Amino acid sequence: MAHAQPIIVTLDLKKVYRTGKVETPAVRGVSLRVSEGEFVAIVGPSGCGKSTLLHLLGGLASPTSGKIIVDGNDFSAMSDAERTRFRRHEVGFVFQRFNLLPTLNARQNIALAQSIQGNGFNPHRFQKVVEMLGIGDKLENRPYALSGGEQQRVAIARAVIAEPKILLADEPTGNLDTENSHAVLNMIRSLNRSLGQSILMITHNLEAAAVADRIIHMRDGQIVDD
Amino acid sequence: MTRRIILANVLHRPIRSIVSVLAVAIEVALVLLVVGMTTGMLRAGAERVHGVGADIMVQPPGASLFLGVTSAPMPVTIGDVLRTLPRVQAVTPVLLQFNTDGGLNLIYGIDMKSWNEVSGGFVYDSGGPLVNPFDIIVDNYYAQDNGVKVGQTLQLLGHAFHVAGIVEHGKGARLYVPLPTLQELQGDMNHASIFFVKCAKQQDTPDVLAAIKKLLPDNKVLSVDQYMSMLTSSDLPALRDFVNVMITIAVGIGFLVLFLSMYTTITERTREIGILKSLGASKLYVIDLILEEAGVLSLVGIVCGFVATLMVQKLTMAYDPTVPVHLTTGWFVRAAVLAIAGCAIGSFYPALRAASLDPVEALAYE
Repeated sequence: MAHAQPIIVTLDLKKVYRTGKVETPAVRGVSLRVSEGEFVAIVGPSGCGKSTLLHLLGGLASPTSGKIIVDGNDFSAMSDAERTRFRRHEVGFVFQRFNLLPTLNARQNIALAQSIQGNGFNPHRFQKVVEMLGIGDKLENRPYALSGGEQQRVAIARAVIAEPKILLADEPTGNLDTENSHAVLNMIRSLNRSLGQSILMITHNLEAAAVADRIIHMRDGQIVDD
Repeated sequence: MTRRIILANVLHRPIRSIVSVLAVAIEVALVLLVVGMTTGMLRAGAERVHGVGADIMVQPPGASLFLGVTSAPMPVTIGDVLRTLPRVQAVTPVLLQFNTDGGLNLIYGIDMKSWNEVSGGFVYDSGGPLVNPFDIIVDNYYAQDNGVKVGQTLQLLGHAFHVAGIVEHGKGARLYVPLPTLQELQGDMNHASIFFVKCAKQQDTPDVLAAIKKLLPDNKVLSVDQYMSMLTSSDLPALRDFVNVMITIAVGIGFLVLFLSMYTTITERTREIGILKSLGASKLYVIDLILEEAGVLSLVGIVCGFVATLMVQKLTMAYDPTVPVHLTTGWFVRAAVLAIAGCAIGSFYPALRAASLDPVEALAYE
């Protein structure tokens, strides 16, 4: 897949966690380029820094050094508030543990993203996403009344409802059985195909990574194969 | 959507919500009842003094506004002098004595004849006037509150008093005994604590007042209207300090419970806050969410506090009318403002803490 316009660019990206006087490098000089509409999987063992990289790309954490440019915006030049605003409009997250608000039903969890974005409820977009993810009959259920696969589909709906430029998925099938894993991966794949959604997914499961256009391998905070 | 999240949170943790609401309700009710009862009792006392029917009160030098607090009796002969003043229709001496049997009450030692001249006499529900030395008259509130009937014996001041009559409330005290009896019990024969002076016409009051002040320059001489306005003022120094202390305690309770409740909530909901932040919720959004939730709890608490206060007022009126609760719109507003301020301050730090949570750490919170 040839894409001229990069949606994500990182240059010598580093992230070091400090606990007291102990420094733990999590990301050690990652340079990466993801094109618009591309579906990229980052694979690697636990602790290789892939989750940290995802948090950096989503603006949830700030890098220790290096550059992150997402959709032309240089994160290193942005304040925390500016990164939050950018995340609100341009980034959608899907997590391994679904991270739905337990007090809200599926419909409210999905609508929450639109509400935080501030553009109001868009019924057309809502209907389209709900139909695509096949959760129309589960909208009034609270998370505890949904299976893992259903919860993850609601989480995906919430992530894409506000039409973000990029979707960042952190082990989206990590808590699912094989059948639900396949279903969720197919949905992510179809979001990429039908909506042209740029997706960056991290996983330690090579089978899951196989659905992506491109697979990047990480080890010890560095990209070892692309 | 924010309101939906708040409502869902409030309903999702009912015990926490109920405790928070109760704390605010207690705060509001405490403020209103402390103020309502103190001002109510003062007003009732003032109205009873007004009900004596006199126009002027003459007390010893340095006497307190709170009748019976200071004991510096004056010779009853002063009454004879006062009667000689022009435009004075009647004068009655009264000796005051606090009594703690059957509640805190003021006993009036009265001279029946002159008392009737000033007050126009009692309205008897049953029984009749004081005749014998150890006769006692009680008002209908005292009788209702203590189950007193005419003819029974009341143990007061270490003596047995025969209930001679039950009268309509509103004339000075709730208990009346003969003046000489009380003087003897106090070991203070021929003295009185206060003289009630009735003018020939009410409009004569300023002139008579001036004449008495000239005659007794060291004594405390007030028109009953002046006394009423002084006693019903919300700015009485002793009352103000007491009320302020009680309000501080009440607001402190509300503040601490709300603080603890919201602080616990933040800890419980760390992960949820992380989720909101991952969705792009700003610090202001998170602060607003926490403050609004505290606001909802405080508003419900305020309404519950108002309802509880009104219920207590009704109950005291029904079962113990000697403890009147005087409630004003101004104090309802003040109690609500204090509760809201306490809640805002109490929830502000938890809200700030929530807003400044690191989203990555919050999402990883178990």
